[in-house]
Amino acid sequence: MNLSPKLLEVFTTALAVPADQITADLDYQGIPEWDSMSHMILIAELESSYAITIETDDLLEMTSVTNVVDRLKKYGIEA
Amino acid sequence: MRLYDLIQSNQNLVYIDALTDTSYSVNEFHQSITIEERQAVVFLYTDNMIGSIEVFLNFLQSRFTVTLLSPQLDIQFKLELEKAYQPYYIYDPSRTAIDGFQAYGASNRIQLFRNLSAPAYPVNPEIKLLLSTSGTTGSPKFVKLSEENLIQNARAILEFLPIEGTDVTPLNVPIIFVYGLSIFTSNCIAGGKMICTNRDILQKTFWEDFDHYGCTSIGGVPYVYEMLNRFGFFKREHLSLRYMTQTGGILNQTLVQVLAEYGTKHRQQFFVMYGQTEAAGRMAYLPPKDLFTKSTSIGIPIKNGRFEIDPDSNELIYLGANIFGGYAKSLADLTTFHRAERLHTGDVARKDEDGYYYITGRIKRIVKLFGTRMNLDEVELILKNALGGETFVCLGIEDKSLLVLHLNEELAAEAVKQVLKEKLSLHPTMIKVKFVESVPLTPNGKIDYSTAVQLID
Repeated sequence: MNLSPKLLEVFTTALAVPADQITADLDYQGIPEWDSMSHMILIAELESSYAITIETDDLLEMTSVTNVVDRLKKYGIEA
Repeated sequence: MRLYDLIQSNQNLVYIDALTDTSYSVNEFHQSITIEERQAVVFLYTDNMIGSIEVFLNFLQSRFTVTLLSPQLDIQFKLELEKAYQPYYIYDPSRTAIDGFQAYGASNRIQLFRNLSAPAYPVNPEIKLLLSTSGTTGSPKFVKLSEENLIQNARAILEFLPIEGTDVTPLNVPIIFVYGLSIFTSNCIAGGKMICTNRDILQKTFWEDFDHYGCTSIGGVPYVYEMLNRFGFFKREHLSLRYMTQTGGILNQTLVQVLAEYGTKHRQQFFVMYGQTEAAGRMAYLPPKDLFTKSTSIGIPIKNGRFEIDPDSNELIYLGANIFGGYAKSLADLTTFHRAERLHTGDVARKDEDGYYYITGRIKRIVKLFGTRMNLDEVELILKNALGGETFVCLGIEDKSLLVLHLNEELAAEAVKQVLKEKLSLHPTMIKVKFVESVPLTPNGKIDYSTAVQLID
């Protein structure tokens, strides 16, 4: 999946995995690293990197890389 | 009296598999898997899914001593523990084969592993359960608990939590932790529906289940409530919800106010609890009415329990029938069960004029990261073993992060973080690594942790 360098960095920081592991179908609880704690870090990283506030409904939908990219569009962010 | 008999006599009890929306009565799980009957240790790597619950209930009903362990435990740790304790059976859905064990279908749903050497060793019949003092460090140190410990704890909880036969309880706290186990045992005895699930509060499916089944309670460590607050949970009314419980550390005071106000507005109760594995669960709770005025307190002792404060050290000491029967560090320690009269909690506390207790510090070298207890000495040992026997000094910073001091200027912080991530699933952002020229020592040559704390920036 072609993510912007910025979004890729958000993912690698939050999930603490190498960039080549960030694939489109990677999802929450799909790897040990993507647990509830790193998910909250991911949300916090997204909010601070893009200066947005993510709504609850979107937060609960951001359960895969694809879904995150999809939901970010709502906030005017193109990955 | 066995815990299992109390569970089996609860007429309202139903286990629901949230994945398939299938209900099971407690009788459907009665002797539902094929196991021999003997005195020996079994290892159950359990999550909170229906299969784990069925296996756990079957072994509770047997004479076996049950060890509850995390399925996510590092494989090397699993193998070391299995070598040390020679379990007769292992339940671990994450593995297809285990050296020295034979896999067999214990029922059409459950696969177990049987020890090929059929080991025989003495186990004190009083020891019903072995729980790890920390869920993740792979330490062979377990807390020995009896049926009596478990029953006393569950009964004390039923004295203050408003558990009813019409309740619907989501098992969102892992039962391998004593808090999750307490939720399980007390609700199995007096509750109603148990929602067996690994889904957590960050998943939409958890909330779909929550609404679908009409869940009546929720439990969590502080960060669970921080997350709930983060996604606006307390801004809405949740009609089925009756009460919430929290343990594993002190909530931040802003959040306590949110919870107290939420409780008043929606007639829901919020219980802060204090406990330890060594007490088979709970030692104290804060009555919801005191949440506004005594928000930093752990509350008052549970029924049949009481506290003393050591006059010299101010250590909080607990007395009660739920105190454990000693630690096991090897198989040989399973021959004895000695219940101590007093439990030294390792926490420093004070008591106010109304008899409420407050934790003011910690004596033991323990840090609680996101509600998970971790022994700092064990963390140091893991680093030492993984990184060529070097010296590491680990300190907890306000239960928020872990500081690792080391003496090797060449050592990259990433290497330390990588070990802790692999072995203990610790998130790198929670770890601070710092090189120091020397480590402060006490006159008798041990690491002086009280001075080392000053090395924190």
